[in-house]
Amino acid sequence: MAQTDDPGGTVSRRDFFKTVGASSLATGVLTTIETEAQVARPAVVGPGETPVTLTINGRLHKLSLEPRVTLLDAARMHAGLTGNKRVCDRGTCGACTMIVDGRTVYSCSTLAIEVQGKQIRSVEGLSRNGALHPVQEAFCAADAMMCGFCTPGFVVATVALHEKFPNPTEAQARRELNGNVCRCGTFNRVLEAALKAGKGAKMRAAVELSGSEVSRG
Amino acid sequence: MANQQMPTAPPPQPVGENAKKYAWPVPPAKTELLSTSVRRLDGPAKAAGTAKYTFDIARPGMLYARTVRSPHAHAKVVAIDTSAAQSAPGVKAVVIWKDPGGEVMYQGDVVLALAADTEDHARDAARLVKVTYETLPHFSREEKSMASGATKVFAAGNTKEGQTQETGNLETGFKAAAHVVEATYATQVITHVCLESHGAVCEWSGDKVTAWVSTQGVHATRQQLAAALKIPETNVRVICEYMGGGFGSKVAADAPIVLAARLAKDAGRPVKLMLDRKEEHLDSGNRPSAFSQIKAGVAADGKLTAFDAKTWGTGGAGQGANFPLPYIYQFPNRRRSHVDVFINAGNQRPMRAPGHPQGCFATEVLMDELADLVKMDPLEFRLKNLPPQAPDAMWPEYYRIGAKAFGWEKRHPTGDTTPGPIKRGMGLSACQWGGGGRAGNAHVDIMSDGSVVVKCGTQDLGTGTRTLLPIIAGETLGLPVSAIKGEIGDTNLPFAGVSGGSTATAGIAPAIRIAAGKARDALFARVAPVLGVEPSALAVGGSKVFVKATPSKSLTWKAACKLLGAEPISVDGTWEPGLSSVNSSGVQFAEVEVDIETGITKVLRVLALQDCGLVVDKLTAESQVYGGVISSINFALFEDRLLDHNTGQMVNPNMEHYLLASMSDIPKVDVMLMNQPERGIIGIGEPPTVPTASAIANAVRNATGATVRSLPLHPHRVLAALAQAGKGGSRA
Repeated sequence: MAQTDDPGGTVSRRDFFKTVGASSLATGVLTTIETEAQVARPAVVGPGETPVTLTINGRLHKLSLEPRVTLLDAARMHAGLTGNKRVCDRGTCGACTMIVDGRTVYSCSTLAIEVQGKQIRSVEGLSRNGALHPVQEAFCAADAMMCGFCTPGFVVATVALHEKFPNPTEAQARRELNGNVCRCGTFNRVLEAALKAGKGAKMRAAVELSGSEVSRG
Repeated sequence: MANQQMPTAPPPQPVGENAKKYAWPVPPAKTELLSTSVRRLDGPAKAAGTAKYTFDIARPGMLYARTVRSPHAHAKVVAIDTSAAQSAPGVKAVVIWKDPGGEVMYQGDVVLALAADTEDHARDAARLVKVTYETLPHFSREEKSMASGATKVFAAGNTKEGQTQETGNLETGFKAAAHVVEATYATQVITHVCLESHGAVCEWSGDKVTAWVSTQGVHATRQQLAAALKIPETNVRVICEYMGGGFGSKVAADAPIVLAARLAKDAGRPVKLMLDRKEEHLDSGNRPSAFSQIKAGVAADGKLTAFDAKTWGTGGAGQGANFPLPYIYQFPNRRRSHVDVFINAGNQRPMRAPGHPQGCFATEVLMDELADLVKMDPLEFRLKNLPPQAPDAMWPEYYRIGAKAFGWEKRHPTGDTTPGPIKRGMGLSACQWGGGGRAGNAHVDIMSDGSVVVKCGTQDLGTGTRTLLPIIAGETLGLPVSAIKGEIGDTNLPFAGVSGGSTATAGIAPAIRIAAGKARDALFARVAPVLGVEPSALAVGGSKVFVKATPSKSLTWKAACKLLGAEPISVDGTWEPGLSSVNSSGVQFAEVEVDIETGITKVLRVLALQDCGLVVDKLTAESQVYGGVISSINFALFEDRLLDHNTGQMVNPNMEHYLLASMSDIPKVDVMLMNQPERGIIGIGEPPTVPTASAIANAVRNATGATVRSLPLHPHRVLAALAQAGKGGSRA
């Protein structure tokens, strides 16, 4: 429940809601106020399905989605990526955390149509050829998981932490992981994993674009 | 589930023949795997996101279901109109759960469910269902429902009185008291908040149904689902490969699971029904409230003399709310009467150590108040009033060890006198739990190529159960964990009980040990003639079968198994008394900082000493203790199910206003596992979550000099207690 304003420039919960507020306001304007001048605004789409192309873990997913579909549901129900979980469904618990253009987002509160053309990374994009990411390896070594339902979100948030602070201090790790909730009570060992993951382990480069296309949905 | 279950030690049973034969290796015998730190086997799958939970299951042609639930705290269902919903896009089936004429007893009580081709279509259609209600009087507060002359809202009465329990002579006890405390202690209702919600995916094939269920008991769920569907149990298969938290709330085939099966039957397609977060809070269980009006006496020498308590609490709209009281400490003369009070809110389900955190809180805070009256240190005061030390009652020793490790001698008397608004304090508390084994079965196959599989129809809630199979089999067969395949989470596997009440490990581990021991003996019988010795002369270790007297005479595991030819070894094991025990004990210490201007409490550090008999996997056992401590911090400082008393509706059925700790709230936690290998396996899920909240409350009292007798320790309660004690403000 702790909330920290981040002087370092990450997406704090407050910034996050600001973004959500702005975009939902824009949607409302587009769909309801017809008297506005037709100047420089995107075409109205929906409410039926519309083509949506997402770049997740370097792969293109050409999907057909209603505009209301979130990034999380698009990944889970249309792209077959069920690693990230839906828990609170309103941007509080972090189980759905993905990285979009280098910043962590709550994918349950991000519309899929808004992140077209952006580099999206889900938990499935972290391991390479079956080899775990050093952060994932550190989670296993420290037993930083129990039921495992929050784990994908925590892993993604920890990877983002390390990409921002290669050798994070405890204060940095705590602040960057404040947006994730665990119910089994793994926090102490998640913190241990987050701090140990950086030691001697070189973090992988952000994303490898394969360019391969996958059509679904 | 019925009322709260109190752990009571069953009468000791004679040690079974197989339990004698396959006794655990205890010191000085060395172990390769048992009681060491073995990594969770499914860690990589969980960290990589490839572990498939019920929530992740997708079947060809699968429909998504949503429920329609009562918005009212109490109402009669007058009419249900599903016509608009049924003709909405994608809708394939509707099943009524509560027929018109029936009553809904709380907000979130299920009325019906429907299934559609997409989740959004199901949600759209659910909004089109028109249910006409006639609202009825409701109660959302215990004191209103139990008041004399209150409107009778529940058919069997608004309350249910328990029997008064009395021991000794109260009058004598209070006469012997030099000091008496009279106070009321209270703990709140909290919900389980399993991160994976309750639900199932059900798929029929003819008259048989396969159900992927997020459950703590695949076999128990099969039994209940079959009964609800009125089909033979043999026609139901329940699978739970991974599950995202249960904490006691996932032990029954509840409405969503039955509805998923019925919708799937009607639609002729697989159906997924998973609750959303609001439904989770309203209708998937909670920890009951607990109120204890106590009068207690202490003699001048610090010996407890008398305890007289009236208690009550609510488990919702018909469930009990009992809890053990007094907790652990010995009051020679005592009386206690309890009343279950019903209100119009979701029903309780067992929640991690049912009853114990409530009874522990009332008793442990009272203990510190009594200690101050006789001017004794709380530790010394407890040592004077604990039951005699025994293997299953180790509190005196653990308190002494813990006090030294924690630096208890640095604790100041009640009330931090240092200047400024930030006050520091320490508190302590004890816990107990029964646990122990129940019936369970396991099966071991050794193949001629040397591969080994252990099968057990248990399930892994995140406790590490999956990892225990190869640890125990590996220890018994002299193999590394990587050489053994474990299979769990399926009713096609041998029966195992519900993972609840800290009984899972103590139930299945003996069965696995016996099955693996029998398999080893069967292998010895095949190897002995080849090595020219009696089977009893053989031993295993380092992936070899060797002669004990001359270890150089050996066969590799592979070579030994090759002797099996076309006939693999295939044996069963069943739980027997002798490899598990009941009753664990533990103590915890907490240090806090309280800002007496804002009332905000921050936990700085916690030390937990906990035994659980023989430790199977040190790494995952420690995780259970960490988890128990964190849960209890949530109970102490944050969680609270808030009801609007005008409507009876929950105010915070979400995760932003239903407060839970996040990383910045987490203190330093030190875990000391007190291994008791000679006692066999006991279980560790419940006890460590019992005492932390009480230790924190006592630390707040030590810091501020003000006693907060109700949880959670939200700032307004701390400030009110400070005001009452005249200790608020920075210049206090």
